[in-house]
Amino acid sequence: MTERQRARRRIAGAALLLSAVGWTILLAAPYTSPGLSFCWGGGAAGSWPSLRALLAVHPPASLAVNWVLMLIAMMVPTLVAPLLHVHQRSFRHRRGRSIVLFAIGYGAAWILAGVVLTSVHLMLSVSAPQSLWPAAAAALLALLWQCSPAKQLCLNRSHNHSELAAFGLAADRAALGFGLTHGLWCIGSCWALMLVPMLLVHGHTLAMAAVTVLMIAERLEGPRPLRWQLRGLGKLSRMIATQARPVRSRLPQAGMAKAG
Amino acid sequence: MASYIRSNAWNTGGTFDNPDLLWYAKGVGAMMTRPLNDRNSWWFFAAIHGQYLPGTSNKQPGFPGWQAIPAAPAVPTRPLPTQPDMDTFWDQCQHQSWYFPPWHRGYLIALEGQIRKAVIALGGPSNWALPYWNYLGSDNQYEIPPAFTQPTLPDGKTPNPLFVNARYGPNNDGNIFIPVPPVSLACMSNTVYTGSNAATPRPGFGGPQTGFSHDGAVSGNLESNPHNQVHVDVGGNSPDGTIWGLMSDPGIAALDPVFYLHHANIDRMWALWNVSGNSNPNASNWLSGPAAAGERAFVMPMADGSAWVYTPQEVDDLKKTNYTYDDLPTTANSAAASQTLAIRLQKLGAPTMAGQPPEPSKDTATESELVGTHDGALDIRSSGARAQVRLDPGVRAKLSNSLKAASLESPPDRAYLQLENVRGTRDAQKLQVFVNEHLAGTVALFGLRRASLRDHSHGGSGLTFELDITSLIDTLYVENALAADTLDVKILPSNAVDAEAPISVGRVSVYREKHE
Repeated sequence: MTERQRARRRIAGAALLLSAVGWTILLAAPYTSPGLSFCWGGGAAGSWPSLRALLAVHPPASLAVNWVLMLIAMMVPTLVAPLLHVHQRSFRHRRGRSIVLFAIGYGAAWILAGVVLTSVHLMLSVSAPQSLWPAAAAALLALLWQCSPAKQLCLNRSHNHSELAAFGLAADRAALGFGLTHGLWCIGSCWALMLVPMLLVHGHTLAMAAVTVLMIAERLEGPRPLRWQLRGLGKLSRMIATQARPVRSRLPQAGMAKAG
Repeated sequence: MASYIRSNAWNTGGTFDNPDLLWYAKGVGAMMTRPLNDRNSWWFFAAIHGQYLPGTSNKQPGFPGWQAIPAAPAVPTRPLPTQPDMDTFWDQCQHQSWYFPPWHRGYLIALEGQIRKAVIALGGPSNWALPYWNYLGSDNQYEIPPAFTQPTLPDGKTPNPLFVNARYGPNNDGNIFIPVPPVSLACMSNTVYTGSNAATPRPGFGGPQTGFSHDGAVSGNLESNPHNQVHVDVGGNSPDGTIWGLMSDPGIAALDPVFYLHHANIDRMWALWNVSGNSNPNASNWLSGPAAAGERAFVMPMADGSAWVYTPQEVDDLKKTNYTYDDLPTTANSAAASQTLAIRLQKLGAPTMAGQPPEPSKDTATESELVGTHDGALDIRSSGARAQVRLDPGVRAKLSNSLKAASLESPPDRAYLQLENVRGTRDAQKLQVFVNEHLAGTVALFGLRRASLRDHSHGGSGLTFELDITSLIDTLYVENALAADTLDVKILPSNAVDAEAPISVGRVSVYREKHE
């Protein structure tokens, strides 16, 4: 294993550990949908509860903590490649600082996205409590986005790891800016997928896990041309399939499989 | 026992008096008569390496789109094969990757079989084998074999299928030769396939560990020189600068028949490197190829109509194939990694040569660390570019201390100059890089254009070039000049650079690499 591979393995290990911590906390304190809990809080069936009442049950601080935990659990495993880029392009004594700044930039982008997505979530919880329709509509939207060239554009930009300054404030700005930019392309890629588990009244955690697998899987693929296509689990499913069934291969002189 | 022996294209003067070349020409001609959508056609095979065909996601509005390539050869752009055929076979070439040598070996085996079948059908020898162009051989072998420059076959009227219009050479004047140096056999003294040690600068002889890598970032040492350099030297730019030679760009390179003779030589160098006692990777992800990790398989259309799916493990030794080369030694000539280290230690004034040298084939790098950078982008124009690489005093001291304490058991650091995120619009260009006015190396920009495309397989990150400046840093240390705060880096392009589209370098940096 080369020095670079060892560094990648260390970063991947740390990312998975951090994600596991996030998942552990989330599983220890299971998520309750605002729509569902509001009904428990006394909303009469068929009435229109106020946003204030909903926020009383789910204070913004609690929603923010939950959002950050979701980000740590779901997103950190997708960050191995950009973190390795920051690690390798920074002075050794600045690596930790640069990685923290990257994380701040990345997290800031996602927290802003969280404000928007959580607001949508709350409004839908108020207007259609306990309804499956918002989640179903989000799933349809996510499927459409998943197949679109726009999604591919965001994924491609996420693979673009550009130059980073190394000295002083310029290095800080570069790491922060890289995190912010990477976060924005990541939001462009994942926003619709993230909405689905948020809007589910039941099965939220299971949906989160499924979306995490999908997001990790789609980052295993390299950049591609922009076109409509079903994307996400291709490489991961092929990896699983090839582990189960070795690649067909023969030497030329041993005879060939007939072309399909 | 190999059934086929690949021989030197320069036998009998590299003319059509060499039957290997005459029958190659006839075989290529036969493949060129087949339509684009025929898996056995010349055009289909070129597209296996890479393509810019209208109607595909790689299409280009003008040159190097295949519709804009000047004849000869007259390149067809219709009919396209089925989508499954294109998805299975096309755009496979592996570059900037440890799969570079084995993928191209399988590609040559398939092409050779196709040509041999055509040769036999035309009444030629049944043991025909692909010749190689050893441009690093003696005498005038640095010149392209003359058979490739004749407009007709020996009958004086049949157009020569080996003749290509868009082949311009290193001086852009149609004179095709390989400048030696900078093209060299330096990689043959490496002893590690992937990694580095005293005799091997990173990323190693065969290339960096990657997945399926149609475009990558950093070329292996064999790929970097001679492979990339020969591509750019043969292709060159047209005299008016409007287009470039086929060989200069991976998406059109395999349309030029000399491509396969160049790669036969690269393949021969890999075989020679192995015969010299050097080992290929034994990691399962190299042996099994990218398909085992859920990526595309290496697959070739064979002359009998079959599709051959292969892995590096099946082609990593010529004994597993049906061919060999006419000049491979039969006994191992062990590489002198320990000698390389000893010479370096002597230069550094190491007090003692006692101790046990490291295992020659071992990757001994333990960590890599940034020493200094020139922050900010750098544009390379026709006049070149200059950058001051500012060194971090603390890391520079570590580097100096490593050189000061060097011994067989404590190998000194290696040092690299990196040109990171290099982007541009034309591959037919070489860059000479100087550090403090000493030549640090020459890099060829083969693959640059595609690596710079944002929605192509490299995401627009461009190429990264790593130049081994270990010897240069040693000299600075010995001359007490390593204490300077900066290194002066000068970059000179081999050709004029389009003023509207300069080559950009994201960052110039220096790294130290610690070894055990």
